[in-house]
Amino acid sequence: MSDTFAFVVGTLPFLWQGLLMTLFVSLIVVICSLLLGLLVGVAFAYASWWLTLPLRAASDILRGTPLLVVIFSIYYLLPFVGFNLQPLPAFLLALTLFKTAHVGEIARGAIQSIAKGQTDAGKAIGLTFPQRLLYVIFPQAVRRFLPPWINSVTDAVKGSSLISLVGVVDLMLAAQQVIGRTYEPLPIYLLAAAMYFVINYCLSVLSRRLEARYAYIRE
Amino acid sequence: MNGLPEEQMSPRRDLLKLGALAAGAAAFAGTMTAQQAAAQAPAGSTLRTVLSRGKLIVGTGSTNAPWHFEDEKGQLTGMDITIAQILARGLFDDVSKIEFVRQEPAARIPNLTTGKVDCVIQFMTVSPARAQLVNFSRPYYVEGVALLTSAKGKYKTHKELTDAGSAAKASVLQNVDADTLVKKALPQAQVLQLDTQANVIQALDSGRADAAIIDLSTVGWLVKRNPDKYLDSGFHYETQLYSIAMRQGDLDWLSFVNTTLNVNMHGHQTDLYDKAFQDFFGAAPPRRTPGFPVI
Repeated sequence: MSDTFAFVVGTLPFLWQGLLMTLFVSLIVVICSLLLGLLVGVAFAYASWWLTLPLRAASDILRGTPLLVVIFSIYYLLPFVGFNLQPLPAFLLALTLFKTAHVGEIARGAIQSIAKGQTDAGKAIGLTFPQRLLYVIFPQAVRRFLPPWINSVTDAVKGSSLISLVGVVDLMLAAQQVIGRTYEPLPIYLLAAAMYFVINYCLSVLSRRLEARYAYIRE
Repeated sequence: MNGLPEEQMSPRRDLLKLGALAAGAAAFAGTMTAQQAAAQAPAGSTLRTVLSRGKLIVGTGSTNAPWHFEDEKGQLTGMDITIAQILARGLFDDVSKIEFVRQEPAARIPNLTTGKVDCVIQFMTVSPARAQLVNFSRPYYVEGVALLTSAKGKYKTHKELTDAGSAAKASVLQNVDADTLVKKALPQAQVLQLDTQANVIQALDSGRADAAIIDLSTVGWLVKRNPDKYLDSGFHYETQLYSIAMRQGDLDWLSFVNTTLNVNMHGHQTDLYDKAFQDFFGAAPPRRTPGFPVI
């Protein structure tokens, strides 16, 4: 038992860099997809057909395509049209686009769930469109937006493990590298699973606190 | 008379011009650096690109000892890595001028054809089907298949496994030919196909399989390091050639790689190859003798 424990502890430095890469990729994707997804959601709810039509097409294609296909399309097909992206930016682009499509739909649903009378009331007191969004719509929509968005964030963390398919060493590939040298898969997979669980458990706790906070404001 | 322009009617004068050009080129070549020589290669040649860039980009793996794996310091090592270093020495006289792109085996050909790597050195088996997609160098190793057994297992030798008949279970890497591969060694055995080599060996460790059908080089590697845990059943079969893969249509690059491998396997620069052979396979390569070429 102590031998296994010593072995697991000895592998931690090898997994550390991979863990940092997983966190970095997850953070970039979550922030970028949140900002872009909110814009897409607002566009879906308010923009003219000529803007929503291409966005709708792109969103439906991305949401209806496996993430693996999106990654390989950007990594292997773009070079044929002159964009040979490095593995990390190619993966960040692929996962961000994929998650943006999902966040956009979540945002659209949350915004459109707010009664139209709220917008009319905002107009009646002279609020501009950005002011109506910031002071009237978003504060109410955030409560409906948070739970599915947190699910989307945990999916992004798990989806980041696919970055190893384009050769970037994340937590998953770091674990496989240790296994490749030691041929001891079981403790390493358990350790990697525990690390993923800790990340996503922290996100779950955070989401519960956020939901509680916005529930208090609303009620 | 025959309608040809005057210069085409003077072959002797052309030959003289060509001779002068060749003599000039030969004299110039003696003073050129590798980078300058690369500038003479056809535009688009990988040889020219690599020399201009100042480093070689190699697609390889990082999870399969003794071919490509991380050592205890986190550095890539293995036979494939040494082959890459041999190329870098040939290009730059510096084994460190390499950027390794870590890739899954399934990404070997796509990464090559989309220009993400200059070559693939990742225990790539030569096959005529693959040769329709990529250029292969001369082989740098002949791999075999072997049966790894457990020191704690019921069956330790190939004879014990065959005598066990359908009671014996063999784990093997998922592959279209996996079932056939097992049956060649153990005709009646049950076949357990798994997704990674580590899991194939884990099946043996956990007692789910009585033998793991894996590369002979890996059997040698594991048995040497864990003699109390693993055994070589003593039965080796099938051979497969491992080569460097390159994009098609670039004969300068192919020729350079072949020449470099020849010099490092059969010529006067065999130190790196020999050391890797000893370190990773536990054996010395056959002694080279001057005289009639056996390449």
